[in-house]
Amino acid sequence: MINGNLKATYAADERVLNNSYKQAFVYGTMLALAFFAAFANEYMILIACKMGILLIAVVGVNILTGYTGLVSLGHGAFVALGAYTVTMLDNGLTGIIPNQFMFFVVVPIAIAVTALIGVLVGLPSLRVKGLYLAVATLAANFIVIFLIEQDAFAPWTGGVVGIDTPDANLLGWVLDTNREMFILISVVAFTSLLAAQNLIRTRVGRAFIAIRDRDYSAEILGISLLRYKLTSFALSAAYCGLAGAMFAFFYSRILPEQFELDLSLELVAALIVGGMGRTMGPVFGVMVIVMMPEVIKVFAAYFTGGDAASARYISPLQEIAFGLLLVFFLLKEPLGINHITDRILRAANRWPFARG
Amino acid sequence: MGQLTQFAINGLMSGAIYALIAVGIVSVYKATKVVNFAHGYLIMFGAYFYYTFAVIIPGQEWAPSWLASWEPVWLVEMKEGLPMFSPMGAVLDWVQNVPRIIFGIIGALIANAIVGRIIERTLMRPLMGQSIFAMIMVTVGLISIMSGAASIIWTADADFVPHIAPNAPVRFELFGSTIFLFGADLVNMLIALIIFGGIVLMVRYTKSGVAIRATAEDQSTAYSMGISVPKVFSRAWVLASTTGAIAGAILATRNGISPSLGLFGFSVLAIVLMGGLDSYIGVFLAAMAVGVMEAMTQWQLGGDWAEIVPYVAVLAVLLIRPHGLFGSKEVERI
Repeated sequence: MINGNLKATYAADERVLNNSYKQAFVYGTMLALAFFAAFANEYMILIACKMGILLIAVVGVNILTGYTGLVSLGHGAFVALGAYTVTMLDNGLTGIIPNQFMFFVVVPIAIAVTALIGVLVGLPSLRVKGLYLAVATLAANFIVIFLIEQDAFAPWTGGVVGIDTPDANLLGWVLDTNREMFILISVVAFTSLLAAQNLIRTRVGRAFIAIRDRDYSAEILGISLLRYKLTSFALSAAYCGLAGAMFAFFYSRILPEQFELDLSLELVAALIVGGMGRTMGPVFGVMVIVMMPEVIKVFAAYFTGGDAASARYISPLQEIAFGLLLVFFLLKEPLGINHITDRILRAANRWPFARG
Repeated sequence: MGQLTQFAINGLMSGAIYALIAVGIVSVYKATKVVNFAHGYLIMFGAYFYYTFAVIIPGQEWAPSWLASWEPVWLVEMKEGLPMFSPMGAVLDWVQNVPRIIFGIIGALIANAIVGRIIERTLMRPLMGQSIFAMIMVTVGLISIMSGAASIIWTADADFVPHIAPNAPVRFELFGSTIFLFGADLVNMLIALIIFGGIVLMVRYTKSGVAIRATAEDQSTAYSMGISVPKVFSRAWVLASTTGAIAGAILATRNGISPSLGLFGFSVLAIVLMGGLDSYIGVFLAAMAVGVMEAMTQWQLGGDWAEIVPYVAVLAVLLIRPHGLFGSKEVERI
């Protein structure tokens, strides 16, 4: 039960974690992640790394779609831009910048580049919205991947066959195992989640929410649509760029086809399943979207005894399950898993009284 | 000049097919206000159904032999003594295939109409009156469901299907240069144009077409005037899926059959937005323009670059005219 949630000052009311339950949850999660990094087996670490990378990107999409209300089906392109910028800069700057400091140079540049291109892609959002924007971003995604695949840029991007990516090097500590990468990814993902939670409590975040609720009304209230829509695009692209950077450091090789429409759809699907416009939404969504194929793989192996003939059905089944999950949540629980947990928490909060 | 005309004509031919695909998206949008992102996958289903009824079933042992290859006596007599690759030979080859082509097209039409109807009943009807975002995302989810289902049902990765029309080469003079075409492409274009024109006329003059337009104008008024709106919805979906079946069959004969057929839907979606979602004329012009631009790009820059032409074009058009070339502007109230 949340009681004693009394605020005597504005500062206390405006804190990011404004009650003791939230603080306990955040510190508890930190502890749990530390234990996980120390004791989990390799497979669990791998899955958790995938989740972490996707989570950073989904938090970015949440800022744009969940808080500002602009639909994008092209954020896979920003992840690609982040990953490729990091790789290309790392290759280009080897020898110029000592390896120990490379990470701290290339990652901020990659984030800045993706944010800049985010502004560029966001320009149509000033004139079109809803469906038209979805198709415009979809088109941008196709164009970016197409340019990466071009032979003309192949010396830098590797073209269709992909390119080897560097290992992260933090001041001489080379993160060449998955476990070490998990520490980096979980710290980055955790920080970016807290940063997003902080963002929506500020003036900028409130402007985003006003635009989502009714953009013309927001404009009448004096919120500059130009400025805040583009800020939203830049921020969400920057998050995706960061996710792309982690992607490049985590995998040993990146291919353009990894960032096609499928990734963009996965990002939006994770957001819808988790719950749009909520801080914890992306977390729940990413867990479901990453775990679902694994669960299907395990079940398929259990029922068929793992014979090769039925193995070809696994990937279509995963695809169908992904679509069904998306459709199910849209039809039955449009506010996502976050809404379910909200209900449970509210019932627990009021126990033993009314449960509604 | 000769090259230019040749490529322009090629472009018009693929533009006609784009228009045929686009008509499905526009019809569904006009009636139900849903933009179908999965239309490309409906087309892919049409192509696979055509493949099933025109190639797989005639190839079965229990199928009658005339279905797989029709060989009446007069046909065999005519074929004897013909030189290889003669136009007459191409026509006779086609005559042999006629039974399975007809069987394939009818089968694809019926099967795709059923698929369209199932989608409308199970996914779209519960969403009546929901937000645009939810409707878009349901069709996005449908993409995954349909592409997964297709790869479970049909194992073939890529295969060829019989041409709808005799594929004899055609040569003629235009503006003082020789144009070289395939007969099948020409017939495909005619089919696409006739169907497109037929649907535009139907929406304009027939009773069910007027019902579609009335529903597009104002759903609740249409309801109160005695139009069954749910019936209009399912009719629009059946219309989209049957035109999609024909478009799928045509695409399958042009490009061979493969799961990547679904991606056509996205470039056509770009074309539809370019033309303006609710304008048949705008969409037709946009489809032709993109077809020609693609052919020109193919000629000047190579085949790769042609595939992003629709996307670049839609971005350019949306920046200048946010509701497409001929689309009607939405009026918003606060």
